[in-house]
Amino acid sequence: MTDAASPITTAKAPAGLLGRLEGSWSWIALGLVGLLLPLLDDSYFGVIAQRAYIYWILSAGLNLVVGYAGQIAIGWVAMLTLGAYTTAALAAGRVGGVEWHPYLALIAGGAMGAVFGVIVGLPALRLRTFYFAMTTLGFATIVTQVALAWKDVTGGGVGTPGPVFPWPFEPGWGFYYFCFILAALATWITANIGSSRYGRALVAIRDAEVAAEASGIAKPKLLILVFLLAGGLGGIAGGLFSSLQSYITPDAFTFEMSVLFFIGILIGGRGSILGPLLGTIILTVLPEFAAPLVQWSTFLYAALLLVIVLVIPGGIADLLDYKNRRPLEQHREIVPRPELLSRVLDANGEPSAIRLTGIALHFGGVRAIDGLDLEIRSGEVHGLIGPNGSGKTTTLNVISGYYRPNTGTMKLNSADLPFDKPHARAHYRIARTFQTPRLVGAASVLENVMIGGTVRGHGTFAESMLSLPRHHRDEKQLKDAAMQALATVGLESLANARADRLQHSELRFMEIARGLMLRPAFLLLDEPAAGLSAEEIRRLGALIKAISREGTGVLLVEHHADLIFDICDRVTVLNLGKVLAAGTPAEIRSHREVVSAYLGA
Amino acid sequence: MFVSIVSYGLAVGAVYALIGITYNVMFSASRVFSFTAGMLGMLGGVLGALFINKMGMNAVLAFMLVLACGAAMGIVTEILTVRPVLKSIEQHLYVLSTLAFALMIQQVTAIEYNTEPQPFPVLFPIDPNSWLGIVDQKFWLPVLACIVTILGLEFLYRRTLIGRAFLAIAEDSYAARALGLPETRLRMASYAIAGVIGALAGFTGAQMLLAFIGNQAILNFYGFVPVALGGMGSNRGAVIGGIALGLFQQAANFLVGGIFASVAVFAVFIVVLLLRPEGLAGAATARRV
Amino acid sequence: MPTSAPRSRTHEPLLQVSGLSAGYGKIGVLSGVDLTIGAGEVVALLGPNGAGKSTLLKAISGLLPRTGRITFGGQDMSKADPGETVRAGLVHVVEGHRVFTQLSVIDNVMLAGYGLSREKRAVQVEEALAYFPDIAAKRNDRAVTLSGGQQQMLAVAQGLVRRPRLLMLDEPSAGLSPVLVDRVLAAVARLREGGTAVLLVEQLIEKALAAADRVYALARGSIVLEASTDEDDLPNRLERAYFGQDAHAPLES
Repeated sequence: MTDAASPITTAKAPAGLLGRLEGSWSWIALGLVGLLLPLLDDSYFGVIAQRAYIYWILSAGLNLVVGYAGQIAIGWVAMLTLGAYTTAALAAGRVGGVEWHPYLALIAGGAMGAVFGVIVGLPALRLRTFYFAMTTLGFATIVTQVALAWKDVTGGGVGTPGPVFPWPFEPGWGFYYFCFILAALATWITANIGSSRYGRALVAIRDAEVAAEASGIAKPKLLILVFLLAGGLGGIAGGLFSSLQSYITPDAFTFEMSVLFFIGILIGGRGSILGPLLGTIILTVLPEFAAPLVQWSTFLYAALLLVIVLVIPGGIADLLDYKNRRPLEQHREIVPRPELLSRVLDANGEPSAIRLTGIALHFGGVRAIDGLDLEIRSGEVHGLIGPNGSGKTTTLNVISGYYRPNTGTMKLNSADLPFDKPHARAHYRIARTFQTPRLVGAASVLENVMIGGTVRGHGTFAESMLSLPRHHRDEKQLKDAAMQALATVGLESLANARADRLQHSELRFMEIARGLMLRPAFLLLDEPAAGLSAEEIRRLGALIKAISREGTGVLLVEHHADLIFDICDRVTVLNLGKVLAAGTPAEIRSHREVVSAYLGA
Repeated sequence: MFVSIVSYGLAVGAVYALIGITYNVMFSASRVFSFTAGMLGMLGGVLGALFINKMGMNAVLAFMLVLACGAAMGIVTEILTVRPVLKSIEQHLYVLSTLAFALMIQQVTAIEYNTEPQPFPVLFPIDPNSWLGIVDQKFWLPVLACIVTILGLEFLYRRTLIGRAFLAIAEDSYAARALGLPETRLRMASYAIAGVIGALAGFTGAQMLLAFIGNQAILNFYGFVPVALGGMGSNRGAVIGGIALGLFQQAANFLVGGIFASVAVFAVFIVVLLLRPEGLAGAATARRV
Repeated sequence: MPTSAPRSRTHEPLLQVSGLSAGYGKIGVLSGVDLTIGAGEVVALLGPNGAGKSTLLKAISGLLPRTGRITFGGQDMSKADPGETVRAGLVHVVEGHRVFTQLSVIDNVMLAGYGLSREKRAVQVEEALAYFPDIAAKRNDRAVTLSGGQQQMLAVAQGLVRRPRLLMLDEPSAGLSPVLVDRVLAAVARLREGGTAVLLVEQLIEKALAAADRVYALARGSIVLEASTDEDDLPNRLERAYFGQDAHAPLES
């Protein structure tokens, strides 16, 4: 049950028919209820169920946008409106005088939804959450206004009849099965995406955007695909809706419906498929059985939303997630196994280097870096130390593409390493960790590490959507690699635990494992020892040193002087954005100026 | 026609500007954009009509009471939807919590008051033939409210210590806290002020916009446009943007029809934000890593 | 150490911290810090970067959540928020001269007296400004026009408005020219004469030792050394303490 409830939050249990059955019994039960409902021969139930299916077809797509990618698209009802009017107007011959076949009109409705899904989604690529929420709301308002005014096509306030689908999905139980099949299909497609590397990438964009970028996930491309899919599903739902209503007017598409879709997903839980499905069904069906409350339904939805946001941000899916309430072992120790590194890393032996020359970066009037030269060579640990504000992390951010320096050059071997473009670093096999661990708290440790290998998959979005063989090969390969990386850093026993249950020190090692998924030629570590115990620091040091000995160039930004002097081959000391000293640890330790500036105090 | 475009445009623009300032006052104190701005505007009109028309209250008393309700709403917003979210890790949940609260209030209004637009009483018995009646009060009231608000805020921010404390928190809340400024109480006070300004916008604009729950969504959007384009937190941007938006909308309404006006405003809004997410007058974004 | 009487011979204990732990979310930075400061005493807090010096100051002033016990002037301040510590006379000048750049100099200083009566505030604001004539001369300029050093003096002036019994200064010399550093530290000396205790986090070790009566060294989130500034060989002992080779020696009590 848990597996199905939140494919993204828990790794699949070890296979075996029984295990798989246990994971999917809720789906089987839901499917059986849907298939057998016509036996009741109650058309009232039938209509309610059809409405629930149609809403879910839209919500399934919206779930990827809201629940997975975390984009607050509130006005998604606009896709329903667009799909409904497109299908109805084409089927009725209101455009160009030709009456389209209803099935073709439905497909056109889906296409219309897909196109506008992308258009409405575009602002999400650049705007902050509130702005995006506002633009989707504004769009929904505009669509209704246009529907009211464009009388030739939409019939204005009077409305237009919806299409009647011919055999095999004629009105009645035929149409019922049409909605059921499409709803099942929407579930299957979105569940496939959700449990693929694309789904994990979406969640990473939601919860750990900078880590997603560092792992090579290109947010714009991925989000556009998802908006396309979600818009298309919304459009198809609209076409079905126009047929179910048999007559549509702009009043039918209220803002309250948008709220219903949205809240259904949040009640269900973000990053889950079954949860939002149940949420949508409950919200559709409940008002039918609580007639006196109908006029209060929107109020209650809104109140529910407030309660969820403030009390259980995880939604139903979290409540069902009993597995993650089992206590983890209390006294855990992280025991890295550097001897496994040769399998995790490519030792291709070719020496390479990242060279920074004359890099300068100003923020306003502040010179964060002021003419910096630095060389990170493969097979070496290069320490970067200096007082607070001396430019260490800024340097690391320049190398990993988050900042564009004002002047200077950066080369990988002899070719230019482009400034900006943090998501392009993964293709150069440059990995990094963060001062504050960036993680998807609701995902398992294993999935967090798999995010690091996103760019190594080969299957396309469509292949994952349809669960084709390449998708399965990617999944298996990524999972194996992630288990190996976890074993190397000493966290394999925690692979299936939710990442937010880990201790801080474990998260630091998890970030390293995520970095190792790129088989990095260069690994940039931003204060990996902060918050670790003395023993953990010692083990971390041994691991870092072993990583470099496999041929990876390591840049280590650190405050812990003992760790730096222990494992670094070379050390650069920064002060006020300039190199104060550079050399071997022994040279640095005897450098008087360094002792007073860095050890300072 | 020109006169009616200008008078109507200025008046609507002043309401948008006031709602924009409502957003800004809340934003400055908490870095939160609240969906309750439009709700406050809607309530200003609805409560005014309720107090005067249904309860037969005197206009001045009703006005004071509406502003008091706005302040109370602001405080409730802060306590219920903003404070808990600021404490949590996922701070962008404020989008949902404020939206939920605004929807709840809207629904209560719809059920307990009316879903259809209701007339709003004429506040001042002015003879339309006298020189005072040259411009209808429904046009000059919101403009006057906007001017009074700007002067009031100027006075608050420039002449009083509490106003400077608001500015201090807006600029660097951490340093303000270190100085011992009562951050929570100041934030609550700014939400109360925002409540007053939002209700004022709704009350003075209601002879024109009527007492209507649908105004909530409209004011939410058109009040936010000047904030987004003029740069968040900038009241000057909100006023200039709001007035420009009002004039443009009315001109387009008269010349090419209302639908075109809405579509055009929306298109401009999206395009400008895509090109300059920080707004036409805003500063660059903060550091992420 | 915490059980014994404070080393300072002439000072009544003003601030007593015991078993203090704090951090950022899951990241524990301080673990079980014990520290005592006497009334009117100047104490330097030294340590390598990342040791937790700023965190310790934030935990004491209530800017960060913490566990452990903090007593100030006989009052329990373990759960106090910054407003309460400031009112009690425990004032923290945070690092990075974070003044309000859009406000005038005088407004910046006035804000530090928020909540005082108008007359009292006027008097104490002038007192604080009297420490820094350069700043006082620019009282009507916006703080954004000040140099970094002047902004730092302004930040210290803000800290003085409350007539603190203990002033905690976090790296007041960062980014300042040597002349200005001396001027800030001269203010510290004058404060001591006036009976104000100072807890000074400082990068410049010689200057800090010259200004202070006593020194604590923090490394890896714990106090690793406590000494009077007139003890021998202090710089070398500090260095060893940072590297973890002198962790046990100097904590004689």
